[in-house]
Amino acid sequence: MFGLIGHLTSLQHAQSVARDLGYPEYADQGLDFWCMAPPQIVDDITVTSITGQTIYGKYVESCFLPEMLASQRIKAATRKIVNAMAHAQKNGINITALGGFSSIIFENFNLQRITRIRNIQLDLQRFTTGNTHTAYIICRQVEQGAQQLGIDLNKATVAVCGATGDIGSAVCRWLDARTDTAELLLVARHQGRLETLQSELGRGKILSIEEALPLADIVVWVASMPKGIDIEVEKLKHPCLMIDGGYPKNLGTKIQHPDIHILNGGIVEHSLDIDWKIMHIVNMNIPNRQLFACFAESMLLEFEQLHTNFSWGRNEITVAKMEKIGEISLKHGFKPLALAI
Amino acid sequence: MPQTQAIAEIDFYSDTYKDAYSRIDGIVIEGEQEAHENYIRLGEMLPEHQDDFIRLSKMEARHKKGFEACGRNLNVTCDLEFARQFFAGLHQNFQAAAAEDKVATCLVIQSLIIECFAIAAYNIYIPVADDFARKITESVVKDEYKHLNYGEEWLKAHFDDVKAEIQEANRQNLPIVWRMLNEVDGDAAVLGMEKEALVEDFMIQYGEALSNIGFSTAEIMRMSAYGLVAA
Repeated sequence: MFGLIGHLTSLQHAQSVARDLGYPEYADQGLDFWCMAPPQIVDDITVTSITGQTIYGKYVESCFLPEMLASQRIKAATRKIVNAMAHAQKNGINITALGGFSSIIFENFNLQRITRIRNIQLDLQRFTTGNTHTAYIICRQVEQGAQQLGIDLNKATVAVCGATGDIGSAVCRWLDARTDTAELLLVARHQGRLETLQSELGRGKILSIEEALPLADIVVWVASMPKGIDIEVEKLKHPCLMIDGGYPKNLGTKIQHPDIHILNGGIVEHSLDIDWKIMHIVNMNIPNRQLFACFAESMLLEFEQLHTNFSWGRNEITVAKMEKIGEISLKHGFKPLALAI
Repeated sequence: MPQTQAIAEIDFYSDTYKDAYSRIDGIVIEGEQEAHENYIRLGEMLPEHQDDFIRLSKMEARHKKGFEACGRNLNVTCDLEFARQFFAGLHQNFQAAAAEDKVATCLVIQSLIIECFAIAAYNIYIPVADDFARKITESVVKDEYKHLNYGEEWLKAHFDDVKAEIQEANRQNLPIVWRMLNEVDGDAAVLGMEKEALVEDFMIQYGEALSNIGFSTAEIMRMSAYGLVAA
């Protein structure tokens, strides 16, 4: 059985979902309540591969909300993640993806030091960040989107915003090794990490967002958008492909211009309907077929009976692993979300 | 979940700590005494299970002795009068249910609510306890899981007959638990135990128990949070 640990995008979103799902006790509550709320399994999932194989899974709502980080309730935030993991393991789930901010919290707050939750010894082999599949899908979206828009990658400049993160660095490695991308622009906050990445790649220009955006034919966003940055459409290249790999996906609401093409990044479309309710909640266009690639990774590992933490740690995603998850992804009928043009 | 507060920050022998400990340890000792008596009473109500309940009640008496030793170890005189008042609401409800021979209600109060609360509190306490108390509490918490399971199994086996009674017992008694928690959240904080973590652990444990008994996710969410916000 596979599992998905997810969370909602804001307190307001959580309250409205709780109301829609018929949990009024949760719908009327403020952040204090959510800080105490336990993880819940709120969906049972059935997925069939194009090979004909069928697998079963569960969705674990961690009750984490981004406001917990914004208001410095770090202990509550970390409790949500480890308690959701313990809940998944206790319910016999073999491989669980840490969706949304879950893997970032696990990594940033060093939660691997917590090995025991009450009477459960956490088995980290049962969890994956799903980042290898996300990075692979974003790279394929870059390649396919460029083709759709007539952007020739061997003449193109690609900016990766959030380049030093787990997904961003993997995207850079792939674009360097597997494409003829002419120029790579590396954008991130930590100068030291940027320099390490640049020396690993042996290429790439380190630039600020303001410097990078006007130069880029394609922008990959895998960092949350820094507050206060307004993207001035007239300064961007036309056409420009922007791949929004953040959570929640909000670039499309900020930029509306016929030459600027926004593609929701790290989203896959399955070839067959999936029997579940949760993707309606996160407003996917085709909820029975579209999903986050990180969630799909736990499905792929279950299809292949690879019950192991395929994606784990920071900046350890290799091109070889991306190729491997990519092969499995295709085999079972998942495709990168394409531009609707 | 494990708390991150370093033990070195806590001075187990400070007056502030010992003052808070006199009430918290008193509650634990009284809780174990209540449990001991409640299991004897349950044995009388369910004679076919009497041997098991006697066994459980003896375990609770042993736990009580362990926590008395924890108090002595820190030279603390426990405030048992405060503790008896603290448990008065649940005590009265258990006695009233027992008088009416309401087995399910008695099991909800003792085997679910009190045991889940004890498990949550002990799990939150262990990482911030002094060495002596940690060893004792670690051994006690293992037993408490068995007691919880015993109540769960009976309620599960009789689920269809007693579902409504469990829900009513939940409505009557869970708000009392939240009030009890609010009464001692200051003392618990002195011991390094956070109220938020305690409530969350209780809801996890209680939710798992309700799930094992046969309740749906929606019912569990409703029942385990009942009265929390009003408290």
